[in-house]
Amino acid sequence: MANIAEQRIKREFKEVVKSEEVAKCHIKVELVDDSYRELRGEIAGPPDTPYEGGNFLLEIKIPETYPFNPPKVKFLTKIWHPNISSVTGAICLDILRDQWAAAMTLRTVLLSLQALLSAAEPDDPQDAVVAKQYKENPKIFQQTARHWTNIFAGGPLREKDLESKVTQLIGMGFDQNKARIALSTYNWNVEQATEYLLS
Amino acid sequence: MSASNETQGAEGGADEPPQPDNTFYECNICFDTAKDPIVSMCGHLFCWPCLHRWLETRPNRQVCPVCKAGIGKEKVIPIYGRGSTNQQDPREKLPPRPQGQRSEPETQGGFPGFGFSDGGFHMSFGIGAFPFGIFASTFNFNDGRPGPPEAGSPQHTEEMFLSKVFLWVAILFIFWLLVA
Repeated sequence: MANIAEQRIKREFKEVVKSEEVAKCHIKVELVDDSYRELRGEIAGPPDTPYEGGNFLLEIKIPETYPFNPPKVKFLTKIWHPNISSVTGAICLDILRDQWAAAMTLRTVLLSLQALLSAAEPDDPQDAVVAKQYKENPKIFQQTARHWTNIFAGGPLREKDLESKVTQLIGMGFDQNKARIALSTYNWNVEQATEYLLS
Repeated sequence: MSASNETQGAEGGADEPPQPDNTFYECNICFDTAKDPIVSMCGHLFCWPCLHRWLETRPNRQVCPVCKAGIGKEKVIPIYGRGSTNQQDPREKLPPRPQGQRSEPETQGGFPGFGFSDGGFHMSFGIGAFPFGIFASTFNFNDGRPGPPEAGSPQHTEEMFLSKVFLWVAILFIFWLLVA
C-alpha cells in the first residue's frame, strides 16, 4: 500500500513543478532524497504581511498511509506567527490534522500555509506568547514578525530599533538567539528581557 | 442546455490527441485512472478500494475527500462502463463495491389513492357514521404506505393492541346504537 503514497507523490511532484504558483516563485518543492518520503518545501511570504519578501523552508514528511493521512509539515525557517511555534516550527493548522482530506495535495497544503501567514488564527494558537502579543500589541507583533523575517528568512525590511536592542543584550554577554527570543517575548522591553535571561 | 454543452465538450476532448483526457477519469485519491469506479452523490469520482480505505481511516468523520460533503458506503453509485467487466481487480480482499440501486419505473394512471391491497389496518362497516368515514378515507389514502411491520417486533404488537382497541370501540358503538 505504500505504493499509493509513492505514486501519488510522484504525480503531485510533477503537478507542483508545472503549476503557475511555482512559475511565479510563490511555492517550491524539492526532493531530499530519492525515496519520496521526505520533501523540502518553500513558500514566499505573502505580500502586505510582515512576512513579505521572506522565503520560508518547510520540512515535509510523507507517512506510509498518505494520502489517507496528512503529510507532517513543520517550518525549518524560524518564524514569528501565532499558529507556528517560534521554538520548534510546529504548525497548528486544521487541514494538517483532523480536517485533512485525501484529495488535498502538496500544492494545496503549501498554498494553505501561505494563506495561514496572511490570516493568523490567534484563537487557536500554537505559540501562546505570540498569539497574546498578536492580540494585545498588534504593532509590536508586526515589527517582531518583520524582524524575524529579515533575520531568518531573508526579508528585505530591517527593524533597526529592534536590532539595536538585540545588540545591546549581546553586548551584555547573552546569546544572540536567546536575547532575540527574550526580547520578542517581553514586547522588546530590555529590562524585563534581561531579568528573564538572568533568572 | 448546459448538460448538452458538457457532453459536447467531453467528446471534443476525446477527439483532440494532445489533450490527456484520461485525467478526467482519475480517482481523486490515488490520481490514477479509477479502478472499480464509483461516484459520490456530490459527483466526485474514486476507485472503490481508495474510497473504502478513506472511509475506514475515518469512521467518525465520513466526508468526501474533495468537497467534504457527507458521504457513505450506501450513498455511492458504481459506474459500469461497457465491456469493462472484471478487467482488473487486484484487490480481492476488499468488500465488494456497492451495488447499483435499481428502482422500478413509476406507473401512472388509475386511482392512485385507493390502494387497499397493502394489508394495513383498515375497517369498513356498513353504517355511514360520520367520524368513521373520515378515518377510513384518511387512513387509507396514501398509496406509499409502508407494509405491516414484522410479526414479533414492538411496532407489530403495538399495532395489534391499537387494532383491538378500535375493535372494542366499534363494538361498544354498535351496542350503544342498538340500545338507543
